[in-house]
Amino acid sequence: MTNPAANDPDAIEAERLRVLRSFDILDTDPDQAFDDVMLLAARICDAPIGMVSLAVGDRQWFKAQAGVDVSDIGQATAFCLYAMLQSGVTQVCDASLDPRFADHPLVTGRTGFHFYAGVPLIDDQGLALGALCVFGTRPRPEGLNETQLMTMDVLARQVMALMERRRALYERRRSDEAATAAVEAALLVTEKLAESDARFQAIADSMPQMVWSSRPDGHHDYYNARWYAFTGAAEGSTLGDAWGDMIHPEDQQQARAAWRTSLDTGEPYEIEYRLLHHTGDYVWTLSRAMPIRNAAGVVTRWFGTGTDIADMKRLELAKALLSQELSHRIKNIFAVISALLALSARQYPEARAFATAARNRIAALARAHEFVRPPTESTRPSLDGTTLHAFLRDLFQPYDDEAAHPRVVVSGDDADFDDQAATPVALFFHELATNAAKYGALSVPGGRVTLTTLQQGERYLMTWQERRGPPLNGTPEGAGFGSSLLALSVEGQLGGALERIWAPEGLRVAADIPVTALTPRRAARQLT
Amino acid sequence: MTARILIVEDEALVAMELRFVLEDLGYIVVGTAPDARVARALATCGGVELALVDIHLSDGPTGVDLGQELGQEFGVTVLYMTANPGMVSHGVPGTMGVLTKPTDEGCVREAVEYALHLRRGEPAPVVPPGLQMFG
Repeated sequence: MTNPAANDPDAIEAERLRVLRSFDILDTDPDQAFDDVMLLAARICDAPIGMVSLAVGDRQWFKAQAGVDVSDIGQATAFCLYAMLQSGVTQVCDASLDPRFADHPLVTGRTGFHFYAGVPLIDDQGLALGALCVFGTRPRPEGLNETQLMTMDVLARQVMALMERRRALYERRRSDEAATAAVEAALLVTEKLAESDARFQAIADSMPQMVWSSRPDGHHDYYNARWYAFTGAAEGSTLGDAWGDMIHPEDQQQARAAWRTSLDTGEPYEIEYRLLHHTGDYVWTLSRAMPIRNAAGVVTRWFGTGTDIADMKRLELAKALLSQELSHRIKNIFAVISALLALSARQYPEARAFATAARNRIAALARAHEFVRPPTESTRPSLDGTTLHAFLRDLFQPYDDEAAHPRVVVSGDDADFDDQAATPVALFFHELATNAAKYGALSVPGGRVTLTTLQQGERYLMTWQERRGPPLNGTPEGAGFGSSLLALSVEGQLGGALERIWAPEGLRVAADIPVTALTPRRAARQLT
Repeated sequence: MTARILIVEDEALVAMELRFVLEDLGYIVVGTAPDARVARALATCGGVELALVDIHLSDGPTGVDLGQELGQEFGVTVLYMTANPGMVSHGVPGTMGVLTKPTDEGCVREAVEYALHLRRGEPAPVVPPGLQMFG
């Protein structure tokens, strides 16, 4: 207990009240045990009145009275307040002669009390809580005898023992009540959880998707009804780590690795795999999971979904097949046109040179389409050698020397190009090469060409440099169709700048185009 | 040098042009087949030394398997001629190589001569630029 300053009445008073409340005794019904003690005290002390009074604030509260009218009890306050503050038994042998009490109504009034004996009730901490006392109507100059004094002491301790027992019972009851309240609260929470769990289950089960949850360690501890319906797995059979067995053997490793990565990093999980359907087939499924974090940011749970994407996959495949089929047909059309030209020219020998040139241009176009990125894949980096350099090496292969070494050497930054850029790119380089074969470096065995491509920021620079060809005599007169094709391709279709320098050592052609001109489809997609 | 050549090509115009080119060069074209069935029938008649085989035929992309069959079961030297050389870029057992369409007369002449030289075990000139050899 606190140790209230002895000279602070308010503090003592507050402490006394606190202690009395702890006995759960104030304002309770009469108690046989207290009554018995009072009766015994009165009888042994040969007094008509016995009393236990407790000091509650500025009033006395009487737990037990023996032989006294209720109306008079309140007036005993002065005696008890006095006695409880003394040590041992306080005796007032003749109150009418005692200046402290001579005018007290209990003395002068109807009750005519003259004798008083009281002993303080002191708790285990030494705090006086009240008094056990007896009143007599006749003065007793001799006071109480030794046995009576001892009895008062013993009974005062007995009262305290009774009160301690009450306190113990009260505390036990209180802790029982607290326990009961806790259990009830827990039950309520459980009920609410069950309710919210039931609500979650109802939502989860009505979803068209598979839903699952997992502990932070990756142990799957819940699947909704849709999962079991889709997979045909027995209820509970895929809990823990067994989900992996439901995945197509070829996709298992990848799925487990992705899941492990998400568990390690807390990054959302997303993967496509083939999931075993109850029919025994594997069905393409998109599996995703998000971590649930607590206030400290620690992952406490994962919630995941599985979506049947078989239809989407089928569409994708159909689209790819269609795209492939169209690509084949387009390339075949070049062959048909070329054959048509050749057949037509057979009738007119004078058209042979024209037909050959036209067919070679068509062949260059066809070759370019062999190397362009299919539109469906144009957002992915090229991995299969369908790049600008690969196309150019193929295009220039017919000009290789007798040892099969290229005479047009391509170097620098490679790039992808798509079908929209294929025509200008093919025609541009075809014209440069055929022109070089007729008049330039490729028209003599020792002639060489270097083609350097360079990406500078948003620009793509292509430099064609002929060397060791026949000496040039400045700018040739008159521009032919081939020359127009060069300008049309670079300046018109690729949106770039074209520069041609007929230097004595060989022709130099520089084309400066936007990088995006090579893949206009991708550029257009990124803009939208 | 002459030889008996089979053309397997479903585009009539392309087949006709190729026949003219080969005949101008002095070869005997035993027939032009638009699909695998006709090609097999023509090969069965015997005497075919070289087949120029397109991959996409009127009965589908059957040219790849047909080329292998002609090479391995009929002893025919096979050159694919296709607008989609990517389909056979990894090589096909029993066949020699691939020419990319459209191509010109010069390339056809060089490729056919080269293939026949190899077939007959004669010293062959360098591989012509337009021809992509397998293996």
